[in-house]
Amino acid sequence: MNGLAIRAEGLTKRYGDVPAVDGLNLSIPAGSFFGLLGPNGAGKTTTIHMLSTLIRPSAGEAWVAGHSVRTESLAVRSSIGVVFQENALDHRLTVAENLRFAGRLNGLSSREIRQRSDELLELFGLAGHRDRPVAALSGGMRRALDIARGMIHRPRVLFLDEPTIGLDLPARRAIWRHIGRLRASLGITVFLSTHYLEEATDCDEVAFLSNGRIVERGAPGPLIAQLGRCIVEIETDRPAELAKRLEPRLGPVLVEADRVHLRCEDEPGALLQAELASLGSAMRWRRPNLNDVFLWVNRAQTDRRQAA
Amino acid sequence: MIVRPVLGVLERETLKLLRERGRLVSAMARPLLWLLVIGAGFAATRGAGAAEYQSFLVPGVIGMTLLFGAVLAALATVYDKESGVMRMLVIAPVAHHWIVLAKALGAAAVAILQALMLLALLALLGYVSTELSIPLLAVGLIGTAFTCASLGMLIAAWSRTLENYATLMNFVIFPVFFLSGSLYPVQMLPDALRLAAAVNPFTYGVDLLKHAAIAGPSAAFDPDFSAVLDLAVLAGFSAAALFIASLRFSRETAYEPLVHRLAGRRGE
Ligand SMILES: Nc1ncnc2c1ncn2[C@@H]1O[C@H](COP(=O)(O)OP(=O)(O)O)[C@@H](O)[C@H]1O
Ligand SMILES: [Mg+2]
Repeated sequence: MNGLAIRAEGLTKRYGDVPAVDGLNLSIPAGSFFGLLGPNGAGKTTTIHMLSTLIRPSAGEAWVAGHSVRTESLAVRSSIGVVFQENALDHRLTVAENLRFAGRLNGLSSREIRQRSDELLELFGLAGHRDRPVAALSGGMRRALDIARGMIHRPRVLFLDEPTIGLDLPARRAIWRHIGRLRASLGITVFLSTHYLEEATDCDEVAFLSNGRIVERGAPGPLIAQLGRCIVEIETDRPAELAKRLEPRLGPVLVEADRVHLRCEDEPGALLQAELASLGSAMRWRRPNLNDVFLWVNRAQTDRRQAA
Repeated sequence: MIVRPVLGVLERETLKLLRERGRLVSAMARPLLWLLVIGAGFAATRGAGAAEYQSFLVPGVIGMTLLFGAVLAALATVYDKESGVMRMLVIAPVAHHWIVLAKALGAAAVAILQALMLLALLALLGYVSTELSIPLLAVGLIGTAFTCASLGMLIAAWSRTLENYATLMNFVIFPVFFLSGSLYPVQMLPDALRLAAAVNPFTYGVDLLKHAAIAGPSAAFDPDFSAVLDLAVLAGFSAAALFIASLRFSRETAYEPLVHRLAGRRGE
């Protein structure tokens, strides 16, 4: 499987006439960390379900670990681990029993299961909880266990569908530590979907999905760098009006709720600061991040649509 | 390697059974109630033959344990559909008909476990004869349990939620029990009921258990059919039921509705 872990060509899923995923092309190198980003309803889950053979594409084809998702579903399923948006655990069984069940379903022997469970529970900080029922675990621990469940058969590719959704900040951080350690120790390919864009900063490559189509892709660093070094946000009651006034002088601006965003090559000087601050009720500047990439891509899309 | 996934399902079913004490207690209490209360009451109204009728009831109440145990365990698949467990099953590298078969085997296994416990209890109470045929008993237990489990899988394949649980009890499990040779010999039933019993696969399971002469040979209550016919009907029904359930199940997984429910998009 040297080369690509995941390849998709024109992958499409339609519901009625409405495409949930529309002509997706992907090539994800083995061992890399890929992030599929987009708001709710963008088509992330549908993409993951097609790649993991759970739903059938309406058109197009994809290969995971070299196997076709259309014709070799069992081979695909044995080389992937999937952590669904909602837990795939039996809440009435204990931590160890859940891993044992998942291991058995994946054809592992008792010895393999015991050994890997120990490793994974250690790695995920659950070693002291092996005999507790899942129902008694916190949300963060359940999520960690669910990832361990998805890794019990040592898949080459791990799909994570919004792995931190519904978790508090410490639990989210813990999940990211676990995933980082997994990647470091096993060299697996990780396919992440999330709408918390800032979580994808460590990805090797990200793709922004909007209404089932990829609207931007690339490495997070360059994508962020191309926005400049600084984003200025001005809070105001009349964002549209302010945007119209600023645009001719300061270049493209973007309106997000009650804020106007400006891109600057550098931090604004004292004079400009004072002026901008006087325009709205509050003003601040900061470094751009992946959220900004998404906002500016959307803005460009809207412009293009209006021009057409 | 299909053995390990099947083993995994069996282990989980057994764990669940041992953990649910209430299920075990009712699995023992229900048949004993029938045997002791109904059996004795029936004999009292007839004036005689209490012991004999109770002996007749023994295969029937063992069948009852198998029926309730297997159908309820198989119906737990509906709970799996609603919870996370089905996600684990559908993502496993196992063809979906194997999952149906594994679930049926698991349900049959826990039913047999319950029947064996009941048998031990009945032996203590003196209802089990030393003249019983162990091979026929084994075949009867396995055949009946697997048939009831297949019936349960067939129902589970069509059930979306467990809300219709009471309906299933009233319209499936009880009729299957009453319209069989469990309480009366089939030949003694009126025509309509005899016909119903004849098309009820459970009848043949209980009949097979009668062949085993658990409570000792009793000329008054001979089995109604030959053991070979019993086995043929049980095997035929199970195969057909599992085949249909597999078709239904794989259609549900390959073509989405199940996956959508799993993705938490209920009602869309
Ligand atoms: N079974 C379905 N029937 C109709 N539309 C669906 C179905 N499943 C998903 N969709 C639609 O497809 C789009 C993408 O959904 P999804 O993949 O769940 O997005 P995401 O995971 O990015 O939030 C949404 O508009 C959703 O409403
Ligand atoms: Mg989703």
